[in-house]
Amino acid sequence: MSAMTRAAKRLLLAALVIVGCLLQTQAAFAHASLIGVEPADGSVVASAPASFTLSFSEPTSPLSLKLIGPDGVATSLDRFALRDQTLDIVAPAGLGNGTYVLSWRVISEDGHPVGGSSVFSIGAPSATAPSTIAEPVDAPVRAAIWAAKLGTYVGLFLGVGGVFFLGWIGGATPTVRRLCGAFLVVGLGAVPLSIGLQGLDALDLPLSAIAQPLAWTTGYGTSLGRLAILALAALLLALTGLFAGGWLARWLSLPALLLVGAALASSGHASAAQPQWSMRPAVFLHAVGIAFWAGALIPLAAAFAASSSDAVATLRRFSGAVPFAVLPLVAAGLLLAFVQLGTIDALWTTAYGIVFLVKLALLAPLFLLAAINRFALTEPVAAGDPRAIRHLRRSVLAEIVLVVAIFAVAAAWRFTPPPRALAEAAAAPVSIHIHTEPAMADLTLTPGRAGPVQASIVIMTGDFGPLDAKGVTLVLSNPTAGIEPIRREAKKPGDGTWRIDDLTLPIPGRWTARIDILVSDFELVKLEDTIEIRP
Amino acid sequence: MKTSFLSAAALLAFGATSASAHITLENQEAPVASTYKAVFRVGHGCEGKPTIKIRVQIPEGVIAVKPQPKTGWTVEKVKGKYAKSYDYYGTPTNEGVKEIVWSGGSLADDEYDEFVLRAYLTGDLKADSVLYFPVVQECPDGAAERWIEIPAAGKVADDYETPAPGVKLLPKK
Repeated sequence: MSAMTRAAKRLLLAALVIVGCLLQTQAAFAHASLIGVEPADGSVVASAPASFTLSFSEPTSPLSLKLIGPDGVATSLDRFALRDQTLDIVAPAGLGNGTYVLSWRVISEDGHPVGGSSVFSIGAPSATAPSTIAEPVDAPVRAAIWAAKLGTYVGLFLGVGGVFFLGWIGGATPTVRRLCGAFLVVGLGAVPLSIGLQGLDALDLPLSAIAQPLAWTTGYGTSLGRLAILALAALLLALTGLFAGGWLARWLSLPALLLVGAALASSGHASAAQPQWSMRPAVFLHAVGIAFWAGALIPLAAAFAASSSDAVATLRRFSGAVPFAVLPLVAAGLLLAFVQLGTIDALWTTAYGIVFLVKLALLAPLFLLAAINRFALTEPVAAGDPRAIRHLRRSVLAEIVLVVAIFAVAAAWRFTPPPRALAEAAAAPVSIHIHTEPAMADLTLTPGRAGPVQASIVIMTGDFGPLDAKGVTLVLSNPTAGIEPIRREAKKPGDGTWRIDDLTLPIPGRWTARIDILVSDFELVKLEDTIEIRP
Repeated sequence: MKTSFLSAAALLAFGATSASAHITLENQEAPVASTYKAVFRVGHGCEGKPTIKIRVQIPEGVIAVKPQPKTGWTVEKVKGKYAKSYDYYGTPTNEGVKEIVWSGGSLADDEYDEFVLRAYLTGDLKADSVLYFPVVQECPDGAAERWIEIPAAGKVADDYETPAPGVKLLPKK
């Protein structure tokens, strides 16, 4: 007995260490978005480029890079180098004249792949350009991803949460044990499946390619791989506990419950948000709270359905404990929603917000039922009032339905980048590099969208030497929109850059940027290029 | 339609700066291997401010530079080495005036004046090209107009906002 207890304690300790490690992961980032591409989208270059460059708002890793030539034949680009947020791709040799599509697909820290393509021409555009590859929506893959996500929630919340309830609160009957076992098995099937599906989504492959090992290794390589390992550990611990029963069920279900929180805190939009020190613990508390509450529903319903002798005692223990799970659950949920939504109107203007509203619409009756159960029915039920018992049973069944519906809605978040990530993408700077023989310049506009912006300019001589200019002037114009040049003299804040703060770009679109560098009293170098300003 | 937009934008762009009027040379043509009298015509200050200093950079191939003294102004001759040795009526010349500075005076924005120098345009200069004399016009409070833009190949001075005054070189007489 004591040896076994020690083993269980060690197990618990190990689980806590894993949770601790995860909470310290700081390297997480949001949804990546493309902020620059060379050759620029829509550009015509004189000769075949030696390399392509993609710059993202976050560090990413490439999943699929393709170049579609004028003849429509796609070439896989597998020679590339990652420099922080920039991806340098070696161009294939011997590219002829015509229009090309550079198609890319990358994955960022939140585990969600993003893709796009950029069109450029060598020499002159082809008579018939290859069709731009729009990011296709593969409905079967999406449906499968959603179902796997729902299965994961059922396994983790109803399964692991249920086993925890049986171990610590009560209500263990053969039926409930079988149900919990079934939920765990659903989870054990859904979690690994989600890895393969994630790989399909990442590589943009159809559902029929699920047997390809590449899909699985790719999926495992994303942050979802981490989630899957922790989730599987949670499910297996809970399943072992369920079979072992007794005190072992108790001591295995606790680390399993904590692992549920750790698993969900390891991947996804919410965990990827900043500040990391509060977002990941918030997701952890939210998930553990859900598992405790949702896991209780089926054992409670079953206990009252069977009119078991200890049903009332179980309900009392649950009622005593549930505030400790629900309060952090709600607080963490509010914090997460606040961070992810950013603004009130994001609720109805973004897909993420609409999913949130639907979830809220389901949460309201759930909380109402929970409050009725807790404050109006618990005492009469404890006193043995048969009407109250009947009401409670129905109410708990309704709660189960609502909880599963909420899982189904929350699983849809997999496909909607949160407004926070969208805002971050819009706020990302845009920059251009202009290189001429006498001088070169890097111009960065922050944020890279219409409105007030800040310009930062770094200048160097044409051969990368330092350039101590007497003055730098930025001239921005948009001739096609009839906007005359906006001229601003840059100031030197002393960090080696030239800065302009009082600049407003009235409209988005393609602007002409000219940088006038006064190299000496009598020598002026003018660098000019276009820069794309987002709406 | 698009063209008219562009020309309207160009008009706006250049209209704004041409208010301060270009500094130009009176004699716009001169043969190489001859003495040239350069008359810099200054019709405006810097955006309303009076001109207090005129700096003229002497381009390579222009030697034996002599500014004409001007009442109320101090003339400074900044000397230096040339990039190569030039022949001045049989005398090899490898150093001389590289910049002329007139200062100390004040020319109001609504007044006109001329600044004159005489120089020898060596035979090393290429005929049928334009020789540019970059000029910096300085005004009080650090204001300045820089007539220093030298047109790139295929462009003319009119394509620029602040072109340097130029003289078209003719073949040797």
